[in-house]
Amino acid sequence: MYGRKAFQLVKELASGEKGQLTPYNSDLFDQVTAECSQHHLELQSLIRKIQEEGLDVQTTRNSEHYGSLIHHLALVRNKRCLMAYVHNRAEIIRSLIWKVGPVLPQEIQERLSHTEEEYFKRHSAALQSCMSRLDLDLTVDMVPPKDPYIQVRVLDDIGVVLSDDKTTNFARHSMHFLKRTDAEQFISRGLMEELTG
Amino acid sequence: MAKFYDMDDIITDEEVVSVVFEKAACGVGIDPSSETDSVEVGSKVELPFWLAHELHLRQAVSMNVPTCFDQKTKLEIQADSACVDLRSRCPFFYEFGCKIAPLVGVRTIGPLLLSAFKSRYKEVLTKAHTAAFSAASKHLTILTKEETNLYEAAQSSMTAFKRWRMGGPRFQRASVLGRKRKSTN
Repeated sequence: MYGRKAFQLVKELASGEKGQLTPYNSDLFDQVTAECSQHHLELQSLIRKIQEEGLDVQTTRNSEHYGSLIHHLALVRNKRCLMAYVHNRAEIIRSLIWKVGPVLPQEIQERLSHTEEEYFKRHSAALQSCMSRLDLDLTVDMVPPKDPYIQVRVLDDIGVVLSDDKTTNFARHSMHFLKRTDAEQFISRGLMEELTG
Repeated sequence: MAKFYDMDDIITDEEVVSVVFEKAACGVGIDPSSETDSVEVGSKVELPFWLAHELHLRQAVSMNVPTCFDQKTKLEIQADSACVDLRSRCPFFYEFGCKIAPLVGVRTIGPLLLSAFKSRYKEVLTKAHTAAFSAASKHLTILTKEETNLYEAAQSSMTAFKRWRMGGPRFQRASVLGRKRKSTN
């Protein structure tokens, strides 16, 4: 059936958990664009047939007209599915920068296509330049903290990190008393957890 | 066109409708029973809604009522709406119903949707707050997408309320990374 592949493409993205990226399916994407070209060719040949019979394309309502109409609708449908696929993925990618910061973890990077990686890089560069002009970090937590420092436990070997004026060795399972803003990006990437109470 | 990029809307449009062609169309391979590349007048074909809808607007086809809104489903919903498995019939039961009702000219679809939603809504919210996890997962399999969203909204508001009362860590691992725990090596 026409448009079935494009539908599968959208379904694949929609069936993932909300806000989660599925691996970019370039294979299926190319198949859909190939299907589009096929529809385009058949549409043209039907239109040509109408013209050869000496009929007006605008007003004729014969079987060729309805055939070409179906091809046209299939094209529009495929286009909508492809656009929705790209658009919704781009939306998730833009949200990544707020959630995990400018450096993407390996597991997410693998799921992006080459152009999507480029898009993420440029979007994050644009945000960075905006923040540096404002001299304000917009990605930090929106709720004012009660205490500027928090207690954290390191969940994974991060290694030696330079922050402000001193270096700290974040070995796994070690506990630290850190500035909230420094710890934030590590927590959102799943490398540390906040200790409470 | 407000929902052009809406994936749920796209998936709803893929629901199959059986139609009868009133105009012939050639050069298309949509009728599996036909040997040539054409559809004759009067042939009955199953089409996805997006195609059936547009052809219906141009009076090229006439639409039949989809099976998920037939008499049998109606009787089941009237009997005990909360136990009807709507997901297997159509995961976007309400949305699809709203789209198809004005096209097929059956007046009973609207009231059917309304009564089904009203009685199931109550059940969904009660279950969301009370049911134990094992019982809830069984209940979830018969809900439509809309109802699942409601169910999850009810649960997340409850957990948010509990977190607000008990207090807890402000920061959490970003949800995009998934629920997977870190590998133990």
